[in-house]
Amino acid sequence: MLLSVEPDGPVPIYQQIRDRIVEAIAGGGQPAGSGLPSTRQLAVDLGVNFHTVNKGYDLLRQEGLLRIGRKSGAVVQRDAGSGPPRPDWVRDWTARLQTLLAEAAAQGLPAEDIVRHCREAIAAFTFPVDGESGPGPVGPP
Amino acid sequence: MTTASLSGEVIVSFYAVASCLAPAITRPTVPFGVRVPPERASAPVIRQQRRAYYGRTAIIGACCIALVILLQDRGSWWLSRIILLAEIVADLGCFLIARNRIAAVKQAERWYAGHRQVVATDTSWRTDPPRFPVRWLIPALTVIAVTVLVGTLRYPHLPARVTAGGHLVPKSVVSVFGIVAAQLYVTAMWTGIMLIVYRSRPDIEAADAAGSTRRYRRFLAACTRAVLTLLALVDLTLLLPAELAGLPARRDRFGPAGTAVRGRPARPGRGLFPRGPRRIPATRRRPRRLWSGGGGRPGRRPLLEGRPDLRQP
Repeated sequence: MLLSVEPDGPVPIYQQIRDRIVEAIAGGGQPAGSGLPSTRQLAVDLGVNFHTVNKGYDLLRQEGLLRIGRKSGAVVQRDAGSGPPRPDWVRDWTARLQTLLAEAAAQGLPAEDIVRHCREAIAAFTFPVDGESGPGPVGPP
Repeated sequence: MTTASLSGEVIVSFYAVASCLAPAITRPTVPFGVRVPPERASAPVIRQQRRAYYGRTAIIGACCIALVILLQDRGSWWLSRIILLAEIVADLGCFLIARNRIAAVKQAERWYAGHRQVVATDTSWRTDPPRFPVRWLIPALTVIAVTVLVGTLRYPHLPARVTAGGHLVPKSVVSVFGIVAAQLYVTAMWTGIMLIVYRSRPDIEAADAAGSTRRYRRFLAACTRAVLTLLALVDLTLLLPAELAGLPARRDRFGPAGTAVRGRPARPGRGLFPRGPRRIPATRRRPRRLWSGGGGRPGRRPLLEGRPDLRQP
C-alpha cells in the first residue's frame, strides 16, 4: 500500500494516516489479515513523530478496523467482506455523512452532482458479492 | 612507469570521468542536490549550470590527467594522490557553484509556490520486504571454500617461512590463512551493508510513488546482485595472487624486487598454474625514488645479482 500524507495540509497527519488506511481497506489493497508496519517504522518512513502514527492506529483500533498485538503487530481486522458493521457505527457514520453532504448542499452543489460524486467515489471500492457473509461485525471489547 | 604511478593515473582518470558524468545519472528532479518540481526539471538555469559543470570538470580532469602523466617519472608516488585530492576539491567546488546558483533561482522565483508537500511511503516494504538474493552469495562463498581447501592441502608442504603482508614470516595458521580472513571480512562487510540498504527507507518520489517504488525495487535487486558478484571477484583477486605468485615459490627468489633469477629454470609444480619463462615478480617493484640511485631499475640488476640470499631456505 502506498501511503502519502501532506505534512503542511489542513488535516492532521494522524487523521490522514487513518483515512489512507481506511481507503486502502475499502479498495482491497489491505484485506483483512494483512499486516501494517509498526508505528515506529511507519513514523521513520514518513518522517513524522511516533505518537502521530500511534494516534492514527489507535483511531482505527477503536473503529474495529485494526488489531494491534504485541507480537503480531498491526493487522487489519475487517474489510468489506467481513460482514455488516455494528448498528451504532452505522448511526454515527450516517450523522457524519449528513454533515458531509450538507457541506456540498450549502455550497450550492446540485443533488444530481452530489449523487454522481458519490457514485464515482464508491466505484473504486470493493464490495462483497451478494449472499457472501464474512465473520460478522467485530468491535472493540 | 611503475605500478604506483599507473594506479595513480587510473584513479585520477576514473575520478575525472565519474565526477564529470555524475549529474547525468542523478534524478532529473534533484539536479545537484536541489529538489525542483518536475515541470522545472529542464529550466534554463539548470541546463546552463549542467553545461557549465560538464565544461569545468572536463577541463579539471584533463589537467589532472596530464599532470599525473607528466610527473610520473619526476615525483614521488604520493604526487598522484595530491593531484587526486586537488581534483576532488576542485570538482566539489564546481558542484557547489552549480548547486548554489540553482538554489538561488529556485528561491527567487518561488518554484514551489502553489505546490503541496507530500510524503509517500510503501508499507509493503516493511510488511512484505523484498527478499535478499542469498543465492548470489554462493560464488563468493565458493571462492572462500576453495581458498580454505587449497590452503589446507598445501599447508604441510609449505616452507618454514612464507610471505604475509609483503614480509617473510614463520609459517603458521594465522600467516597462511590470513587471506581467508581478508576474504571473510570483505564478504561479511559488503553483505552487511547491502542488508542494511535492504532494510533502509526506500527512495520513493511522491509525484510518482507507484512508478518510483517499482523502479527502486528493480534497481536494488540489480545493484545487490552486482555487488555480490563483485564480492566473488574480489575474493578471487585475493586468492589468485597468493597462488600465482606462490607462497613457496618465493623461496627460490632473491635479488632486487621485481626481478627473477637469471639462468635458473622455473621449477614445475609450484603455484596453482605452471609458470612460463617470464616469471611473475615475487614482490611489487618499488617506485623509483630520486635519492635511491635507481636501485629498482632492471638495468642495475647485474650489479645486484651477486648479493647473497638473506632469507632462510
